[in-house]
Amino acid sequence: MNQEEAELISRCQQGDQDALKEIFDQYHKKVYRIAYGVVRQREDSLDIVQEVFIKLFRSIQNFKGKSKFYTYLYRLALNTAIDHVRKTGKYAVSSLDQEGIPQPAEESEKRPDQILLHKELEGKVNLAMERLPIDQRTALLLREVEGLSYQEMAEAMGCSIGTVMSRLHYGRKKMQELLKDYVKPHG
Amino acid sequence: MEGKRGESGMKDSCSSVSKLLEKYFDQEVTDKERSFIESHLRDCLTCQGELKSMEKLRDLVKAPIEEAVREEEFYWVWQKIKRGIQLREKSTGWESLRSWLDISPLFRRRVWIPVAVTMVILIVMVPLLFKKITSYPSPSVVEYIESQTHNVMIYESEKAKVTVIWLFEGPEEAPIS
Repeated sequence: MNQEEAELISRCQQGDQDALKEIFDQYHKKVYRIAYGVVRQREDSLDIVQEVFIKLFRSIQNFKGKSKFYTYLYRLALNTAIDHVRKTGKYAVSSLDQEGIPQPAEESEKRPDQILLHKELEGKVNLAMERLPIDQRTALLLREVEGLSYQEMAEAMGCSIGTVMSRLHYGRKKMQELLKDYVKPHG
Repeated sequence: MEGKRGESGMKDSCSSVSKLLEKYFDQEVTDKERSFIESHLRDCLTCQGELKSMEKLRDLVKAPIEEAVREEEFYWVWQKIKRGIQLREKSTGWESLRSWLDISPLFRRRVWIPVAVTMVILIVMVPLLFKKITSYPSPSVVEYIESQTHNVMIYESEKAKVTVIWLFEGPEEAPIS
């Protein structure tokens, strides 16, 4: 943790909301990635982002600087997202079923059949992720999306490096099996 | 013979590499392990395929999430967080009052309910009673007249300007025997 970050956290620990805003600006996309990766729903993911930063403001006193700040935040985000899934029982409605999500700019330039294929594939990835146990799903997210090291993943997930490797291995195997038509090399 | 030995050597190498391939893909191998894997990968299509498969999977997992982040507007999320913090601060103040009430043994026994009710009654009634008393000062007897048959008493109040004339029968005299 660098000095600038340490000062920011210290200000936040003293109840400075401007410091929290700076932390939010720095990390909100990362927290959203975790939330969206776990729940796969836009509205719920935004609710989780809010909840995570409110929780952070209330619990930042507990952060003693023994681990990296972002692994502490990832852990908070993961736990909040997992709690949300357990409470609501909701997870991963295929994006084909979602309405009101605007198309990204480059998508509007694609042909309708390409968009459909793209959406179909996204739906399949969502369904495959849904079938993974939540521990394997979070391991995949932290590694493949956030690019965390095994050590950082172990801190964020609160387990050993061996457990991280095992979750990652079984998660990948299952995903490769479920999406074999898309991930197996041709020829 | 040599070809067979080469093929079996490659297979042995494949099984050793596959154990390390995931770590290699995640950039968690030592320098020694890296050079061992990379020299194997140059000649082994199977292991190259495995590596490509992991790369494709990474892209598939990552793409929809990155797309969701790109599409999202976050400017209003902070406003909601700010409001959420303020609301919780207010409720925290109320909660601390409640917890203080719960801590006090008197309040825990709910003794305060009749006490509070009595206090409210006193606060409301005392000024009313006081007002009545002051607005109607005690009347004073101005005159008292006795006669054989009737008595007359006159009360007068200066502030209220009220005069009461009280006429009543006098006591019957005992018959003279």
